Amino acid sequence: MGFLIALGVLLLVSIIWMVYRIQTLVSVVKGSEKKVATGSNKVNAALFLLFLIGSGVLMFWYSIKEFDTYHLPIASEHGVVTDNLFWVTMAVTGIVFIITHILLFWFSYRYQYKEENTAAFYPDNNKLEILWTLVPAAVLTVLVVSGWKAWSDITAPAPENAHVIEVMGYQFAWEFRYPGKDKQLGNYDYRLINPTNSRGIDFTDKNALDDFPAQKVVIPVGEPVLFKIRSRDVLHSVFAPHMRLKMDAVPGMPTRFWFVPTKTTAQMRAELKDDEFVYEIACTEVCGGGHFSMRREIEVVEPEEYQKWFAEQKTFVEMDPALIADAPSEIKELAQIESAE
Amino acid sequence: MAVANVSTHGASAHDHHDDHEHSDNFITKYIFSTDHKMIGKQFLVTGIVWALIGGFLSILFRLQLGFPDMDMTFLKPILGGWIDESGALDTNFYLALVTMHGTIMVFFVLTAGLSGTFSNYLIPLQIGARDMASGFMNMLSYWLFFIAGILMFISLFIETGPAGGGWVIYPPLSALEQAIPGSGLGMTLWLVAMVFFIASQLMGGINYISTVINLRTKGMSFSRLPLTIWSFFLTAIIGLLSFPVLFSAALLLVFDRSFGTSFYLSDIYIGGEALPNTGGSAVLFQHLFWFLGHPEVYIVLLPALGITSEVIATNSRKPIFGYKAMILSMLGITVLSFVVWAHHMFVSGMNPFLGSIFMFLTLIIAVPSAVKVFNYLTTLWRGNLIFTPAMLFSIGLVSFFISGGLTGIFLGNSAVDIQLHDTYFVVAHFHLVMGSASFFGLMAGIYHWFPKMFGRMMDAKLGYIHFWLTFVGVYMVFFPMHYIGIAGFPRRYYSWTNFNFADMYTDLNMFVSVAAIITFGAQFIFLFNFFYSMYKGRKASLNPWRSNTLEWTTPLEPGHGNWPGEIPTVYRWPYDYSKPGAKEDFIPQTVPLSSTPESNLPHEAEQVKLEREIMAEEGSDILVANESKES
Amino acid sequence: MEEKLAYIEDAEQPIAMHPKKFALWLFIVSVVMIFAAMTSAFIVRQGEGNWLEYDLPNILWYTSGIILLSSASMHWAYLSAKNDQLGNLKIALGITVVLGLLFLVGQWFSWEALVERDVYFVGNPGGSFMYVFTGLHAVHLISGVIFLIIVLISSFRYKIHSRKMNTMEMCATYWHFLGGLWIYLFVFLLLNH
Repeated sequence: MGFLIALGVLLLVSIIWMVYRIQTLVSVVKGSEKKVATGSNKVNAALFLLFLIGSGVLMFWYSIKEFDTYHLPIASEHGVVTDNLFWVTMAVTGIVFIITHILLFWFSYRYQYKEENTAAFYPDNNKLEILWTLVPAAVLTVLVVSGWKAWSDITAPAPENAHVIEVMGYQFAWEFRYPGKDKQLGNYDYRLINPTNSRGIDFTDKNALDDFPAQKVVIPVGEPVLFKIRSRDVLHSVFAPHMRLKMDAVPGMPTRFWFVPTKTTAQMRAELKDDEFVYEIACTEVCGGGHFSMRREIEVVEPEEYQKWFAEQKTFVEMDPALIADAPSEIKELAQIESAE
Repeated sequence: MAVANVSTHGASAHDHHDDHEHSDNFITKYIFSTDHKMIGKQFLVTGIVWALIGGFLSILFRLQLGFPDMDMTFLKPILGGWIDESGALDTNFYLALVTMHGTIMVFFVLTAGLSGTFSNYLIPLQIGARDMASGFMNMLSYWLFFIAGILMFISLFIETGPAGGGWVIYPPLSALEQAIPGSGLGMTLWLVAMVFFIASQLMGGINYISTVINLRTKGMSFSRLPLTIWSFFLTAIIGLLSFPVLFSAALLLVFDRSFGTSFYLSDIYIGGEALPNTGGSAVLFQHLFWFLGHPEVYIVLLPALGITSEVIATNSRKPIFGYKAMILSMLGITVLSFVVWAHHMFVSGMNPFLGSIFMFLTLIIAVPSAVKVFNYLTTLWRGNLIFTPAMLFSIGLVSFFISGGLTGIFLGNSAVDIQLHDTYFVVAHFHLVMGSASFFGLMAGIYHWFPKMFGRMMDAKLGYIHFWLTFVGVYMVFFPMHYIGIAGFPRRYYSWTNFNFADMYTDLNMFVSVAAIITFGAQFIFLFNFFYSMYKGRKASLNPWRSNTLEWTTPLEPGHGNWPGEIPTVYRWPYDYSKPGAKEDFIPQTVPLSSTPESNLPHEAEQVKLEREIMAEEGSDILVANESKES
Repeated sequence: MEEKLAYIEDAEQPIAMHPKKFALWLFIVSVVMIFAAMTSAFIVRQGEGNWLEYDLPNILWYTSGIILLSSASMHWAYLSAKNDQLGNLKIALGITVVLGLLFLVGQWFSWEALVERDVYFVGNPGGSFMYVFTGLHAVHLISGVIFLIIVLISSFRYKIHSRKMNTMEMCATYWHFLGGLWIYLFVFLLLNH
């Protein structure tokens, strides 16, 4: 409500002020020809300088003060690389940003109109032009090449021993599936989706028998993890900010992203002195009304703990034997053997 | 006070209708006008109306973001059912607001409102033509745009709401009504409106290109075109090549939506049923869309850069630095704009190898942009700067172009883009570099050419206040978004309280929202100034900014046909400001080199001989006419 | 002297073309872009697999022949107009219109042939693209036929002759373009289906 009042006051002030201006306008209409540049020219020139100093101070003050707030801790191996790239780029562009702005506003102040001055007739200088074509080109080449190396490492095929986890997006949540002991995800087909089989897993495929679901992603620290990403309805995008991980989920076109987590949730909690801390997964591709609520958690644990957790999980079939009711008999036998183990 | 010379040219009767000033009635003069100046004004006023609507929509969703717990019941009279019992905004309608804000601003305001206005208004005036190549097609272009606007406007009020899948309308979200209500009738209207819009743009573009190529006045070679015309010309070429592709993309989407084909749809289970579509590719649409979408950024930006070049040169009283380099860099941008589209899709699941290629191409496009910035700075250097409102907005544009352009280097780098893609960093980036920069170009253009359009001056002091509030306001709105984006906040989020990593910037978001409201409020100062000055402003002089280009040689309020007599001939480039030795600090393009021996450069002295010969053939009165006006 | 001429003539008529004709060329460019986008989409989509393979209807060979013939008759019309043989002009234009309509009928039969092969508009994009290409081209061809009929009517009013070739030239350009466009599409389909 206070905000509304503030808005009202603002409007009122501007109305009063406008009425005032109308009167001055009338006097202008009656007034004589203006000069080339009035006193306002000086004011505007000074304001540019003021803006430069004021906003510069504000930017540095805030950037330094709030660094820990906007800088998310990194929890993956490639995240260190991309963040390095980010800060290198920040340094380069930051320098350019500051220099060009100092020149822009300083020139505006320094070369404001003075009747006795004449502008320099300076239409071109090929040497300068070539210089400032080549220098940015060289700097950008360095940035591109380092970016390209990082990019090809990140998008390279996942290591053989990567832990595979299937991440499926739908309106409006994520579902996870682990491949079970055989490390092989069972096939799926979207036509098999029904209320009891929300992922459309094909349970006539024996690889699917030991697959198990999870409410959150549990992964071992220091070991490669491969997300196999798909979507059930519209586009989604898996985003794990601390892992510096993002990849779209596309219906009909599985995607993937692999990474190596470097810090367990417990380590991160200790580091940040925050007992509530969890790694999160969000959606970053607009997908409908619940786009903003597709939250899931990642828990990074020590490898031993991971093995233990992994062994404790119940498979789909164990949870709901009816899933294989229509499957051939040899599949049913296999399932029994597996659950007995 | 030097009055620009209206050169009366003897023998250059190469235009066909000397019978300007038809007897127009109200309808042919103000509504179905074929006069490029009136059509330009129509585009301008329509663009302003759309800017207000688009801006208002952004205020609505900024309220939601800045004050998530606010009771919005007071908005019920406007939004009706989109505000629920508890006073909260509907989440689907939030997305619709974001979508419509984007669509309106990108297409209706910064494409039609900016390039539609100034290409129409300035091309014939600055190249010395009576009108566009086809006045009828030009009129049609406006009215198709108008129809597109009406359809889009209607879609705001239908029961299921306007399109809500983002302005990029990625299928399957935009193809399936089950996915979001906006993908029903709202999306249909969006698509139909865009088809009209594309047709309008193509007609406009064809007209601009053929006018610039065919109807330049005598002496107006390409190396003497003002940079504004160069930018409009290249913009039209980009539009001609990219809008048809959007048409193709939209057509296939229409087939998918209405006829059940599977161009973009595959393996979808939604609303409790598996759809029959199989074999489609959602990424295909993104390729087609961004093939338009990225050039569209330059369609929006290039005219603003062109206007800025003109305004900065005029008000620095200096030639634009590196005229040829400016043209080359615009050409470079034009060509490169077609080969960088997939940098919007680094994490879309497309082949990572394509990603690397597009990263290289994308960062190359930063080079011509950098050249432009350095040239602007050098133009200001050792100038004699007059801060007209147009000049202020142009300097503001350069500042935004730098700030927003530099963040593009982050986003064009695919490895860095992984984290930043679809976060507020992107929002900050494009709002500065294409949104605000182009908007400032539009404003600079209005303040600069208002005296030509309406024969009156806008109030400068109101212009200053408008500029400073907007300039500071825009930075207050978009600069904090960089921090929010680095922290990883995804865009198009209704609220972020669900996430621990994002739930810490309530104060900053509130700040941004308040800044947005103030900035929006400041635009009413402009509106007042604009409409008030149109009728009550101080009468303008013929060449109030003491500028060189041809439009200032027309009468105060030029009729249909622009010049009452012959079209003036052009003898020099448009940037002879503060030429050493010259009497005044500007020499209009219509002044022959032979009449300014005191200021001619060595290579120009050689051209004088040539010029004299030609004039001797054409008739002897030219020189006299020009010289007598000059004194 | 040449240099001097270049100096002033340069801007007056940079290209010796009527603005309307030039606008037509620009329009053709935009049509090219539409089909370039479509055929690129075809290739991109085909590269992703899950693609329906089928034989092209044979009738497309005949329609391609028809459209080539119509280009020939169009050229005949053009020459007749240029030489003021107004009788021939009408005949040639009439033949072109008929051939254009025949082409459209042929394209319709190609759709029927596709349906016989169980290739439908709704279904695998491999089939849908076929309908989109032919359909979109047919729409443009209909606009060409309308243009032709307009020219035919004005030829009956003696508005087309050697000193008034503008409309005729534009119509011929557009018609040849449409023919060329179809041949491009046909060859593209032959090579890529």
